[in-house]
Amino acid sequence: MKKLLLVVVALSLVLMFNACAKKAPQVAPEGPVIEKVDEPVAQVEKPVLSEEELFQQKSLEELNKDQVLKKINFDFDMYAIREDMKPIMQANANWLLKFASVEVLVEGHCDEKGTIEYNIALGEKRAEAAKNYLVSLGLNAAKVKIISYGKSKPLVQGVDEASYFQNRRAEFVITKK
Amino acid sequence: MNMRRTVLFLSVFLLVGLLPGQEEITIRITEGMPMVPVAMPAFQLDQAAQKDDAAAVLYETLWKDLEFSRIFKMVPREHYSYIPALNPGAIRFKDWASIQANILISGQLELSADGRVIFSFKVYEVASERFIFGRNFGGKKDLARLIAHRAADEMLKHFGEKPMFTSKIVYVSEAGNDRDIYIMDYDGHRPTRITFSSAMDMLPSWSADNEKIIYTSYRNLSPELFMFNIYSGKTELLSSGGSNYAADWSPTADRVAFTSSKHGNTEIYIKDMKTGAEKRLTFNPAIDTSPCWSPNGREIAFTSQRGGTPQIYIMDAEGSNVRRITMEGTYHDSPAWSPDGMRLAFVSRIENRFDLYVYNLKSNEIAKLTENAGRNENPSWSPDGRHLVFSSNRSGRYQLYLVDYDGRNVRQITAGGENKMPKWQKSAK
Repeated sequence: MKKLLLVVVALSLVLMFNACAKKAPQVAPEGPVIEKVDEPVAQVEKPVLSEEELFQQKSLEELNKDQVLKKINFDFDMYAIREDMKPIMQANANWLLKFASVEVLVEGHCDEKGTIEYNIALGEKRAEAAKNYLVSLGLNAAKVKIISYGKSKPLVQGVDEASYFQNRRAEFVITKK
Repeated sequence: MNMRRTVLFLSVFLLVGLLPGQEEITIRITEGMPMVPVAMPAFQLDQAAQKDDAAAVLYETLWKDLEFSRIFKMVPREHYSYIPALNPGAIRFKDWASIQANILISGQLELSADGRVIFSFKVYEVASERFIFGRNFGGKKDLARLIAHRAADEMLKHFGEKPMFTSKIVYVSEAGNDRDIYIMDYDGHRPTRITFSSAMDMLPSWSADNEKIIYTSYRNLSPELFMFNIYSGKTELLSSGGSNYAADWSPTADRVAFTSSKHGNTEIYIKDMKTGAEKRLTFNPAIDTSPCWSPNGREIAFTSQRGGTPQIYIMDAEGSNVRRITMEGTYHDSPAWSPDGMRLAFVSRIENRFDLYVYNLKSNEIAKLTENAGRNENPSWSPDGRHLVFSSNRSGRYQLYLVDYDGRNVRQITAGGENKMPKWQKSAK
């Protein structure tokens, strides 16, 4: 008897549920259905420019802004090329050897922990060391000029060792291509 | 153009006249003597001068000059009220003796209708109740400061000292990205701009006759030496190739020592300004820079890194007989030879500070001039050797300061922007 009752209750629950499900609204859209269809896009790929083509396309300013030649940093009071800067110099030399028409100005800079006069000399030694390194890697010395700004053009203004390190540098400015 | 204004400004003549009918006495003071107490009561002013601030400017400038001198000691003005006011016609010397004045200055100032100042002053020795000397000065009233400096120089001369208050300082002033050369009075007043390039101009120095300024400019891209003539307003290029800077004009002949990398390495050269011939003095793979002539023109102090670190050396003016002066420390630069030839001022770096030191060439003693106050750079002596001008970032940005030879009386003379690389004239005209 009890079992029968349970079956009846269960059945009625199932029926109720079915009824509810059937009542779910099926509202027809009033206007015409607009289906969004993506326009067929022609798959035009950006042309991949070769390094040579980029070089041809870009102005001197753009090349310098893109820093195709990377700056290197120096130890305190020193002008020898650091071991960890040699790969950067090699990359710079490779690029310069590839584009042999390029002329470059090596700027030597110092941190503010030196006097004005001595820093001009030190900055020049740094620029000269960088130039000599490029020449040792096969560059034509006539294509490389140097200048020293001493401590008059710091890259960053901080007064901590990290800032000083950034300011003790040689920059490579492309002056002709 | 502005250069012309400079020329006019510097070539103004002041009328200087001896007061008639009075015999002059010169008093000589040797170094180490106590300072001479001077009383200078308010000047007698005519009606026009009473209404103009030129009189106050002249009085205050003269007072400050004498106070600065280290020769004179000004008797405080408060003390003058203890005694009757000065009657220039009948001076009661006993009154002035009672307030400890040894010297009394009696000044008189008139202002003409066309704006000219006539300033006359008489100097008396109080104890002996004697007239020592007097002068009359005339000039436009906006030259009141210059008139006061001239009067103060007359005081120095009569006490056996070299004039210095009319001497000028050349320096670099930076406002925004512009960096140009300026000239000003020794006390920081009356600055006049002399270069107008958009490139960096730096490290100026005076010719021996004070008529030309040699400086380094990046206007042709690489740092080259230029010479500016104050009187003609003309600028000419002196150097060719490499980096060229730190020029110093020989005090005894037309020769300029300078640093150049024209042959690759940084070396010291001498240029004969009459023939244009150049001579190289140093032959060393290290850095040699910052040449500075001795006052007799026979030797040159310089900085060299030949021993591994930058140190001060002295060589004969022919480049021979090189000897090292600084033995301690790892970084020295900017040697400046005192006018008496006895002392070298220079910059020394310890840790991350720059301080000024004075090395006595006779006694081998070293005195420190600045202490724990930022970076102190580029010392340059006053013509009388009692003061130095230098740049310091002790208050934030670089400004110019004066200090006495013994480290006393530090005072700031520039404000605003950034001011550095001062060079004091080696003599006042």
